[in-house]
Amino acid sequence: MLELKDLSVSIARIPILRNVSFEVQEGETIAFVGRNGAGKTTTLRAIMGLVTAQGSILLNGQAVDHVQAHERPALGIGYAPEDRRLFSAFTVEENILLPARVAQLTQDETNRRLERVYGILPELKEMAKRPAGSVSGGQGKMVALGRGLMLGTHLLLLDEPFQGLAPVLANRYAEALRALRDTDRSLSVIITESNPGLLKNFASRVITIERGEIESVEDVSKVEA
Amino acid sequence: MSLQILVLTVLDGIAYGSLVFLVAVGLTLVFGVMRILNVAHGSFYALGAYAAASLGLVLSAYGISAWFAYPLFIVAAVAVGVSVGGLMERFILRRIYVREEYLQLLVTFAIFMILDNVQRLVWGVQPYFYTEPLSLMGNVTIVGIPYTAYQVIFLPLVALFILFGLRWFLRKTLAGSLIVAVTEDREAATAIGINARKVFFLTFIIGTTLASLGGALASPTTSVLPGMGAEMIVLSFAVAATAGLGQIGGAAIAALLIGLGRSSAVFFMPELEVVVPYLIMVIVLLFRPEGLFGKTTARKI
Repeated sequence: MLELKDLSVSIARIPILRNVSFEVQEGETIAFVGRNGAGKTTTLRAIMGLVTAQGSILLNGQAVDHVQAHERPALGIGYAPEDRRLFSAFTVEENILLPARVAQLTQDETNRRLERVYGILPELKEMAKRPAGSVSGGQGKMVALGRGLMLGTHLLLLDEPFQGLAPVLANRYAEALRALRDTDRSLSVIITESNPGLLKNFASRVITIERGEIESVEDVSKVEA
Repeated sequence: MSLQILVLTVLDGIAYGSLVFLVAVGLTLVFGVMRILNVAHGSFYALGAYAAASLGLVLSAYGISAWFAYPLFIVAAVAVGVSVGGLMERFILRRIYVREEYLQLLVTFAIFMILDNVQRLVWGVQPYFYTEPLSLMGNVTIVGIPYTAYQVIFLPLVALFILFGLRWFLRKTLAGSLIVAVTEDREAATAIGINARKVFFLTFIIGTTLASLGGALASPTTSVLPGMGAEMIVLSFAVAATAGLGQIGGAAIAALLIGLGRSSAVFFMPELEVVVPYLIMVIVLLFRPEGLFGKTTARKI
C-alpha cells in the first residue's frame, strides 16, 4: 500500500533520515518508534511532502515523489501532527470539515465522512460548536484525529498521539483507534510513539528508527516476547 | 478650544484615518498571511491615484458626468491591483518566500523604487488634479462648519464597508477560510490540501487592490504627484505596527487613532504634524511591542 525506498532527508545540510525503507500493507497498523529526534516526525512529514526528500515514496504502486504536498491529502492520506495544529479561528467542526471543503467533496460525501468521524469519536459532536482554541490538549488530539480521518481514507499518519495525554484521555484515544480498526479494515495506519509498549494492542509490526536509520522491523509478538 | 475646532479635528481625523485604513489593511493582510513586509505597497497607492486621476481627466475631456468617476475608481483600483500586483507576486515574490527577511525587504524596496520611477516616466513630475468627485457629493454642515460629504460620509462608509466586508469574506467564504488557515499555520494548511501558493496570490492581489483603492479614493482630495506612495507606506506601516501586524480590525482602530492624532497636531501643534503618527506608534510599541491587538507568540527553537 505504502512503500518507502531509500528515503533520505537533510535539513540545513544535517542528515535527518538516511535511506529509510519500509512497507505498510493495506489495513496494517504500524508502530513507528524511536527516541526523540530519531526521525519519526520527519518521516511522516516526508510522506506528506512537507520536507524535501531523496528516494522514493510509492502509494498503491504509484510514485508520489512529484505530487505536491497540498495534493497528497487528496490521495487519501490523513495526517494528525504531534502538536495538533488546529486552526484556532474556527470551531471544532469547522476544523474537521475544512479538508472536505478544500477537496470539494459533495455534501453527501462530506456528511457521510463526518458521521463516520462522529461514530468513532462521539465526544467531538458534543464539542462541535466550541472554538478550536478553547479545547484542551487531549481534546485537541481527538479533533486532529477527526480532521485527519476526513481525507485519510487509505492511509492515516498519527504523530505521537499519546504524548502528553492524561491516562483517561489516552485510554479513550486508544479505544477510538480500536473502533477505527474494527470499522475500517482497509485503512493503513502509521503511529509514531516513543514508548512501544503503548501500541502493542494496535500494531501488527513495530519499526524502530534510531538516528535517522531503520534499526529494526519486528512483529508485535516478537517485541512482547 | 472651541467646539468647532474640536469637531473639525474629529472630522479631519476620521476622513484621513479612513484613507490610511484602506492602505494599511492591505499591508497588514499581506503580512499576516505571507509574512512579507511589502515596502512596494505604497506604490500601489500611488498607481491607484494616478490611474484614477487619469481616467477622471479623460471623463472631463469628453464631457462625461463625474458620477461615472466613482465606479471608474473601483475599476482603476482592481486593474492596478490585479495586473501589477499579480505580476509582482507571480514573478518576483514567489522566488523569495523562503529567503531571509532582510532580502525580502530589500527586494520589495527595489520594486518600490522601480515603480516610483515608472510613475515619473509615465505621468511626469507635474501634479495631477481631479477634484470633481469631491464636490459632486455636496457639503454637509456640522456645528456650522461646511465639510465635503465625500470626506466625512463617503470615505468613512467605504472604510467601514471594507472592514466588515473583509471580515465577512474571511469568516464566511471558503476562499477566506483558506486565507485564515494559511495565516495561522501554513504547514498544517498544506497538510489538509490547501494550496498555499494560490492563497498567497489571492491575498496579495486583494492587498494591492485595497492599496490602489485607497489611492484612487484619495485622488480627488489631494494633488497626485511623485512621492505620495513613500509617505503613505510609512504611515500605513505605522498603523499596521500600532495595531499589531496582521490585525485587520485593529488596523481600523489604529488608523482612526493616528488620523485623530495627526488632525489634532494640525490644529493645535502644526509643527508636530508629521511626527505625531510615529510618536503614537513608538509609545504603543514601547508598552506593547506586539502592537495594541497583536498576540505574543512563543518561538520554538
